[in-house]
Amino acid sequence: MNHLSEEQIVLHYYGDAENNGDIQRHLAACSACWGQFEQVQSLLQQIEPAEVPELAAGFEEKTWLNLRDRLPEKRKGFLPQLFSQKWALVGVMALLLLAAFLTGRWWPRTPDNNAGTKPGDVNPQRVVLVAVGDHLERSQMLLVEIMNADTKGPIDLSTEQAQARELLDANYLYRVSAQRTGDPQVTRVLDELGRVLTEIANGPTDLTAADLKEIRKRIQAEGLLFKIRVVGSQVDSKVRGQERDGAGNINQRL
Amino acid sequence: MEVTDAAVVALVLAGDRDAFRVLVERHSRSIFRVVFRMTGNQQDAEEIVQETFLRAYKSLERFELRANFSTWLYRIAVNRTLDFLNARKTHMQTKDTYQIADNPDGEEGKQVQLPATGPGPERLLLSAEMKRKIAGAMGMLSPSERVAFTMRHMEGRSIEEISKALDLRASAAKNSVFRAVQKLRQQLEPFVGAVK
Repeated sequence: MNHLSEEQIVLHYYGDAENNGDIQRHLAACSACWGQFEQVQSLLQQIEPAEVPELAAGFEEKTWLNLRDRLPEKRKGFLPQLFSQKWALVGVMALLLLAAFLTGRWWPRTPDNNAGTKPGDVNPQRVVLVAVGDHLERSQMLLVEIMNADTKGPIDLSTEQAQARELLDANYLYRVSAQRTGDPQVTRVLDELGRVLTEIANGPTDLTAADLKEIRKRIQAEGLLFKIRVVGSQVDSKVRGQERDGAGNINQRL
Repeated sequence: MEVTDAAVVALVLAGDRDAFRVLVERHSRSIFRVVFRMTGNQQDAEEIVQETFLRAYKSLERFELRANFSTWLYRIAVNRTLDFLNARKTHMQTKDTYQIADNPDGEEGKQVQLPATGPGPERLLLSAEMKRKIAGAMGMLSPSERVAFTMRHMEGRSIEEISKALDLRASAAKNSVFRAVQKLRQQLEPFVGAVK
């Protein structure tokens, strides 16, 4: 029987040879080829996946800032995209589903005294306000959990990191929304919150006590929890105000 | 509830340029990891990450829903890296190049090309000498061999993924991986026993 070629041996190592079963049988029977295989294996096992340098917490932010001004404007308007891009349609459907979900989840049950309210009276600003209020509350809970996390023994913040990643996306959308409706206070808080969430979301999974201390320092230094409480309570007041004034008052800023 | 990549892409195409930031925040770190393993240089990798996102943004209209966004982005990154390595190879053949005196039977004028600055991708290896040899041997691979080998060996990507990313037939992708290993063997096998 012919010996295996070098190519067969190398590809077999990765499981990419055409006839792995035959090669396996040959290796079991042929000590010369087995010796060759062992040499390849021994070498390749020493070439380990490269250790990637630890990136700074603001890497994403830095990348974005360097990139932002180089991005040309895209043609505006949904309709042309809807007809020319089938995936855009699905994207829009996803957005609509998200909006429907948020509306269903956060729109309070209509009390009896509003029984006569027509569907057309739904105030979209109020939906956003309620969603932002909820977002701030969830963020606040997350930050409190991190501030109070036990630093004795191994620190596992993987759940909190997953939450931070979810909150980060919503945070971006609410920040853009706040910016567009001209609410600088909410924009500023969401901006600061976004930076801290980014740091939490992208931190190493096996945090050290020093890492955690650093994150806490950042939260404390920016007085973020306090700001979130203040803005959250203002948002709540606005929501309650709108409840009192009725659903028709849509001129309220975010 | 996490907003999907497709929804974010829809926002960008609807004119919300800033929504692209969400995609940068989600994917830039993983793209950096891949590119760094191929270039071995942090500064180069950071630059390629930016170029990748810029290219992705400009080509966003061509993104197909059936493709996963991160897979699509990964392919762009691989191709940008390949372009970069090709350009660097040309540049370094005419400009300054590290030379290792004891380089055995090397191609390309017996010169070993190493990243000019920054940490190499072989830092996990125990032997500093072996690391130096591996860096030298990796530098002797052609850009496509280096990319294919990194994808297969370090990223654990399948031959199918490599062939799609590099727009090669599967047999050509296998051949690139094999040629890379063959060259690495020629350069490194004399030292493997010594390190063990």
